[in-house]
Amino acid sequence: MPPRTRADARRRREIGLAYLLLSPALLLLAGVLAYPLGWEIWTSFTSLSPLQDGGTAFVGLENYRRQVEDPQFWFAATVTVVHAAVTTLAKLALGLGFALLLARPFRGRALVFLAVFLPWAYPASVSVIGWYWTLSPPITTAYSVFMGTLKYAVDGALGTGAWAFLSVTLFNIWRGSSFIGVLLLAGINAVPPELFEYATIESKSPWQRFWVVTVPLLRPFLALGVFLSLTTGFADLANVWMLTAGRIVFPIIGTHAYWLAIKAGEFGPASALSLMLVPFLLAALLLLFRLFDRPEREAA
Amino acid sequence: MTTARSRGARIRSNVFAYANLAPYVFFVLFPFYFMIVTSFKSNAELYNLKSIPFWIQSGVIMDHYALLFQKTDFVIWMKNSLLVAVVATTVSVVISILAGYSLARLRFRGAAAFGTAIFITYLIPTTLLFLPLSQVVVWLGLADSIYALMVIYPTFLVPFSTWLLMGYFRTIPREVEECALVDGATRMQTLSKIVLPMAIPGVVCAVLFSFTLCWNEFTYALTFISQSANKTAVVGVTSDLIRGDIYFWGSLMAGALLASIPIVIVYVLFLDYYVSGLTAGAVKG
Repeated sequence: MPPRTRADARRRREIGLAYLLLSPALLLLAGVLAYPLGWEIWTSFTSLSPLQDGGTAFVGLENYRRQVEDPQFWFAATVTVVHAAVTTLAKLALGLGFALLLARPFRGRALVFLAVFLPWAYPASVSVIGWYWTLSPPITTAYSVFMGTLKYAVDGALGTGAWAFLSVTLFNIWRGSSFIGVLLLAGINAVPPELFEYATIESKSPWQRFWVVTVPLLRPFLALGVFLSLTTGFADLANVWMLTAGRIVFPIIGTHAYWLAIKAGEFGPASALSLMLVPFLLAALLLLFRLFDRPEREAA
Repeated sequence: MTTARSRGARIRSNVFAYANLAPYVFFVLFPFYFMIVTSFKSNAELYNLKSIPFWIQSGVIMDHYALLFQKTDFVIWMKNSLLVAVVATTVSVVISILAGYSLARLRFRGAAAFGTAIFITYLIPTTLLFLPLSQVVVWLGLADSIYALMVIYPTFLVPFSTWLLMGYFRTIPREVEECALVDGATRMQTLSKIVLPMAIPGVVCAVLFSFTLCWNEFTYALTFISQSANKTAVVGVTSDLIRGDIYFWGSLMAGALLASIPIVIVYVLFLDYYVSGLTAGAVKG
């Protein structure tokens, strides 16, 4: 059957092309990241440390066992989960609201868009300095008394270091909601307006329209936003470091690992610690991937 | 009557939008306002306990900006940042368009697995990654050079852009492409002549995000580069204006503001593409 073979040949060419198009991305990622990843996994099983004199020994799962038995680890894990959950929810709520408001044309929309985009577009390492200056000013400024009082009130109620941690949370929400909003706006722009118009006619209330139409249509973008928010929430190192001036009382897994490696010179336990996040992030990714793929399958 | 009603509705919806956006815009802009005020204030006023922090009383001064240009390598840092961001963004977006199209459109065994493999790179814990990565940089002969950043940045830009573009390519109806294929176009032709023009907002989005991530990257730029002349803008400003416990607040704010101007320019340039949503119009019919 000639049509069949021709289709087969086309199909084979297409598969070849698919691999060809993918190869630059795969080569780049494997080429640059294979060694660092291997290093991190290997190190997590050893006693590698720049501070010790003797050779590096293979210690098996010892580094992992030590973490699980360490109360400091459980504290950091709890803080990490709460921090990631709270910031992600807040970012989603604010970002979605902002995207929906900006999806409709109104006078001055471009300016508002630019303003709301700024927190994410702005380099975090410098905007974080603005926040530090605002929330934890040097003693000799006019508002330092006010901010100091606020800081002691918060620390007194929630424990020392709470104020610094709240600033990190606030900063992450400030920056992340901007990003999620812009990402979702891109998603809304990708949806044909007819779909929204049809849904407006069909649905009974704006609330129903939101859950039945908007959220499902935006699902891939929501999934991407949540995933990126989680990974940064778990491993946010630079911002925590800057906003607390390195005096971290409420560690998250990322800062705890950094501290172990750089300050204490314990590369093994630090690698083990950061790798322990992977199963959780993997689970989150797979779950989100399912959400991401679903609309396509329904359509097919 | 209908026009009057729709006009009333439009005004109501505008008021609704403004009322909702106002508090958020304040939250968003306040830190920037505060940074601008701080960058133009004299040190005497900054550290005066009786001054009012939110505006300038004793006159606008340019000293903090002058220090940036006269005492630091600010101009060189900006040039470095620009070079790194442009090269890394271009390379990454091209690679991502190819990969995203392959994953979204060409049906082949293991597409999902390859897709996952690309995003798995996001799971690699980055906290300590700079330690082994610095070794890779030495092997590549790129130690203490901005080329190191051009090689490393695409590793986190490509997964993100690929995912983003994949989502975009999927919103383009297959039928549009199949028509062209039936007419005898090759896959590469449909990609460049049909899919890409329809996905311009997606591509713009990928370019914007990649450029921003490059420009703002901190950890690698800080750890892989030690010579002042090879630093990027955000690292240069923070590392040269915070010395131990001493913060040069005014110049820090000035540097923070100036270092971000390219980002703002890029966003203003692409704003129209982004807000108007070109795909939505193109898919009609």
